[in-house]
Amino acid sequence: MISIPLSVKVVFSTPTYILIAAAVAIPFWILFNVFDQLIFFEPIWIFYLPDDAVTGFVLMTMISILLGMIISMNVYVITHSKLKISRKSLFSGSSLSIISGVCSSCSSVGFLLISTFGSVGIVASNLLTIYQIPLRIISVAILIFALYSIHKRITQSCVMSSNSINS
Amino acid sequence: MIFHEDKTSYNGKMRVNVMSALVATTACVFGTLLLFSHADSSFEYKMLVMAQTAVSIGSSSFTLSNLIEQGSPYIGNLSAPITIVDFSDFQCHLCARHVKNAEPLINETYIQTGQVALVFKHLPNRGFDSMGAHIAAQCTNDQGKFWQFYKLLYENQQAIDSGWVSKDNLNKFASQISGLRMDQFNSCFDTQTYKDFIDNDVKLANSQGFFDTPSFIVVDSIDGSDPEIIRGAQPFPSFQSVIEKKLDELKK
Repeated sequence: MISIPLSVKVVFSTPTYILIAAAVAIPFWILFNVFDQLIFFEPIWIFYLPDDAVTGFVLMTMISILLGMIISMNVYVITHSKLKISRKSLFSGSSLSIISGVCSSCSSVGFLLISTFGSVGIVASNLLTIYQIPLRIISVAILIFALYSIHKRITQSCVMSSNSINS
Repeated sequence: MIFHEDKTSYNGKMRVNVMSALVATTACVFGTLLLFSHADSSFEYKMLVMAQTAVSIGSSSFTLSNLIEQGSPYIGNLSAPITIVDFSDFQCHLCARHVKNAEPLINETYIQTGQVALVFKHLPNRGFDSMGAHIAAQCTNDQGKFWQFYKLLYENQQAIDSGWVSKDNLNKFASQISGLRMDQFNSCFDTQTYKDFIDNDVKLANSQGFFDTPSFIVVDSIDGSDPEIIRGAQPFPSFQSVIEKKLDELKK
């Protein structure tokens, strides 16, 4: 049986942090799916998942959920005054999570690259398209690392009561 | 479990860190939004610029008879009341998604029943090798084999500019089509006969605000009027909604 990490239990026992996570994850999920052409708003609102998009969709959903969790946990850390956040941890946490998540969708903004940078943009766009799945896997790995970092930060800052351990 | 936390040590350094965290996170989110909004504004700007060159083109460019006269490949009944103009690139993976998912249903439901004609327009914009693939495809159209070649290319699509549409591979694909005269095909391809033709298709696409593939314009076949635009590799219900709406209007 998989046990839920302590930090996740602590943070998400409060509805506010669930809301923060959802408020981050859902817009990112929608945004990524729009750029992946899985959600359309014109001429009708529709979501569909063709066979060739399943892997990308699963990775993108993981990225959105991880982003939501990490940002929410970072907010928890920030709002609990005992815990100090260094610039280093901040970078490896929320900022890097967002940056890596956004980079995952770079392949979808190929048009922007082409229209802005011409033939160099074509090369960049093609590379991002070809390596879309590996890039997303790297993003998930970075986010898992960020989640682990914030988990450690939260659990190491807590002192468990000996009574609760004995009981 | 009980957690003891000391909330008394909220010092100046902490305030700076919290502020930095908020500023950095906000900057990242707004940076992201700016990036995407820039994509939109860039697109709109291009549309505006291209619209100025579109005056001479107008909707008459999209009448079925004009499109066929120009030499664009098509399938469907010549008397079909609705025409779908498809702007695609053979190297675009979203175009392959459309060909695999939505197009067979459009074909079965509307093209085979004589309600819709499908016209292909070249929009090679996904890589340096795309132009060659499009010239070759247009050369096969000379011998009435465009749609077989089109199908072969999408079935064998690989990574952009990986060499899968090199001259040798295009020859291999062409040689798989029964009845295609290779000498005629090679002559057409080597002399780049349709380079200007494809450039004109690109100009036409850009003039209508199409820069990305696949893009579609659904019009009344007779006068090219009442255009409905469908952007991206949308599923069949999106096409169905537009086509049904048009068919209803035509019945009135």
